[in-house]
Amino acid sequence: METMPKVWRSKSKPHLFCPGCGHGVALKQLGFAIDELKISDKTTIGIDIGCSLLAWNFFDFDTVQTHHGRVTPTMVGYKMMKPKRTVLAYMGDGGAYAIGLQSLIHAAFRNDPITAIVVHNDLYAMTGGQMAPTTMPGEVTSTTPTGKPENFGPGFFGPELIANVANPKAYIARASISKPLLVKQYLKNALLNQQKNNSFSMVEIMSICPTNWKMNAKQCFEKLSQMDKYYPGGEIKKGNENAEN
Amino acid sequence: MQRIRIIFSGEGGQGIQTISKVFVTAASKQGFEVSYLPSFGVEQRGTPSVAFITIDNKEIRHPKFDKADIVVILGKRAIKTVENYLDPNTELYFDSSTISKGDLPIFVSKIHGVPATKYAKEKFALRSFNLIVLGVIAKAIGIKEELIWEEIFNFLSKKFKKKEDENLAHEAFLFGLEIVPETEDFTRAIFKAKHQAILVKGHGKHGTILPDKCKGCGICIHKCPVGALSLGEDLGVFSTPIPQVDLEKCIGCQNCKNFCPDGAITMEMDASA
Repeated sequence: METMPKVWRSKSKPHLFCPGCGHGVALKQLGFAIDELKISDKTTIGIDIGCSLLAWNFFDFDTVQTHHGRVTPTMVGYKMMKPKRTVLAYMGDGGAYAIGLQSLIHAAFRNDPITAIVVHNDLYAMTGGQMAPTTMPGEVTSTTPTGKPENFGPGFFGPELIANVANPKAYIARASISKPLLVKQYLKNALLNQQKNNSFSMVEIMSICPTNWKMNAKQCFEKLSQMDKYYPGGEIKKGNENAEN
Repeated sequence: MQRIRIIFSGEGGQGIQTISKVFVTAASKQGFEVSYLPSFGVEQRGTPSVAFITIDNKEIRHPKFDKADIVVILGKRAIKTVENYLDPNTELYFDSSTISKGDLPIFVSKIHGVPATKYAKEKFALRSFNLIVLGVIAKAIGIKEELIWEEIFNFLSKKFKKKEDENLAHEAFLFGLEIVPETEDFTRAIFKAKHQAILVKGHGKHGTILPDKCKGCGICIHKCPVGALSLGEDLGVFSTPIPQVDLEKCIGCQNCKNFCPDGAITMEMDASA
């Protein structure tokens, strides 16, 4: 009767994330996905700056802590030297779509065989909840106290953008932690696409931030369902089916 | 008055920096020279948060110090951070209802226990435990009560939604002024998460709850489709109540296991059922 995935490092628990943090749910499903594929002995994860860095001692496998936005190129380089390992790049929406966007786009463009996992919570959580590219119009953050103005543009659709330039073999999907089993399924598909198809894969996980949204569990999931409507989930590029190109 | 070096320490989110700011502003208004150095990590909460304070009659030319005269420890994880600032003459104040004496360094002899969490939970709101500690320290140093309450009101008035909240906070602070800290028989650290797992079994289901992992976010209770979970009596790692299971209602769907961000709960059907 395990409460945690086997690959979680039990010594480092309780982890450093806030109570109710969506990172915990996302990393739990990642743990279950790795458990079920039985690849824990050949996996390496790279961690970005931001709240995601608090996962530096989360797993019982090799972890690399990189610079802000540079987790993708670091892990691409790692994969070049160790092509047999399964390589994950774990980052938040700020690291992926603001400072690290060119790295992510080019990794998809070159079809580098890594798996990028982007946890999307609509704001910069570690620095106090400032507006991020992914903030939805009208959403209140600490730098947009009256709601994000219309002239700041819409929210940032990362996976859709990257799908435009990604190689046809790439796997790109968006899931939400309101459906944890779907998160696990997409993560498994992404890992398999990296291993079997030797291609880029990316999963965006819609997440919650109770601390900066200043909400309790129920309100958080209500807001998450609004976000799920704005950023529709699903598999945007299904890797294997387009493999002939 | 000689120079006094004080350290307030605890976990982020406990209000360490708030009570430190209240304390130095009040001391400054009373005519002392003060310095205040906050120190905490990048995280929003859950990691050690420390405030270095110096109070003196004369001008303070250098705010840093190696050994503190008074150290206040409110969270167990902060002990390691402040250990180097302790010496045998340091007066150590700690929350005896959340930290057991055995966790403290052995070489410190002047230990004062303040069961603030216990008093706060029994008499006031759980959040006001830091004001009780502030009262104890204010009395020990000799800062005027009115000045401190004025500053508490300045810093916290936004958080007081009703007049009752304000009264409760004031009462908690005044109560802290009157406490005589324990020096020998310390309160047992009852507000501490149990280390062993809680195993539940019955009605064809079984499960595990780990109190020392649970942070009390309430996601499992919200996500349970049949309402089998509710807040119970036991406490988790942040002294928040942990969930309890109604085994009759539980359907073993494992939603709690899939949603819990901390890996603290699982419920499933027995294999034979």
